[in-house]
Amino acid sequence: MAIEVHLDVMLAKRKMKLKDLSEQVGVSVVNLSILKQGKVKAVRFSTLSAICEALDCQPGDLLEFVPDKQPETE
Amino acid sequence: MKYITHIPRQQDFKIWLALLVFVVGLPVLTLWSIRTSDPLLLGPLFVLLGFFIFNLAVRKRPAMKPYFMSSLNILTSKVKHEFTFEFSKDLAFEKVKEVLEDSAFSLVAADKDRLELQASSGISWKSWGENIYIWLEGDDERSVMKFCSVTLFQVYSWGKNEDNGRRLIDAIEESLTI
Repeated sequence: MAIEVHLDVMLAKRKMKLKDLSEQVGVSVVNLSILKQGKVKAVRFSTLSAICEALDCQPGDLLEFVPDKQPETE
Repeated sequence: MKYITHIPRQQDFKIWLALLVFVVGLPVLTLWSIRTSDPLLLGPLFVLLGFFIFNLAVRKRPAMKPYFMSSLNILTSKVKHEFTFEFSKDLAFEKVKEVLEDSAFSLVAADKDRLELQASSGISWKSWGENIYIWLEGDDERSVMKFCSVTLFQVYSWGKNEDNGRRLIDAIEESLTI
């Protein structure tokens, strides 16, 4: 199972740059870049709230659960 | 994945050599010098003092990395560590730089083109300080941070090198929770 992060999509929809978001939410550009790639270890609720507020969106717009593909059975 | 590895060297040999030189050799030479009133016998003491002053003077120069990391430099203790990131080496470089700037280590140099960083830890009653050399390898998907903690003037680090590695790895892991 995997959690996909759609931060880049939301940024494009809001026509916002990563640097601007970084300044608004107080999270470094490096950390947001890593989040964008879905490679962070965990996201704090406070960070998620701040991002949602800055992008005017819901957590579900940023995160999506994608189940692993099951191997086909005969 | 993370793991800590020692540079495979004759660590036991170094400790015995240090004991022989510092605990037996130097006091014997000093006493002999006093007894015979021959100042030349204090030569080895001045050589070691010179070595220490030289290391102290050049410790923050990135160009001295080969000197400090050389296996021929038997009066410094070295421990190598590795840490794997699941993202590109350029991003890993920025991440490590950010962590170093926020940590107790002081960032001495950062070369983005060569993906190399140098940091140092402070001097304490247990240690003359350590230099930390970091370099990144990998591609756009995965990267490996390799780093080496080197004592400035200590044959045996009393676990300080290992502590530095653990502290840096812990700080990086913690920083991946945003």
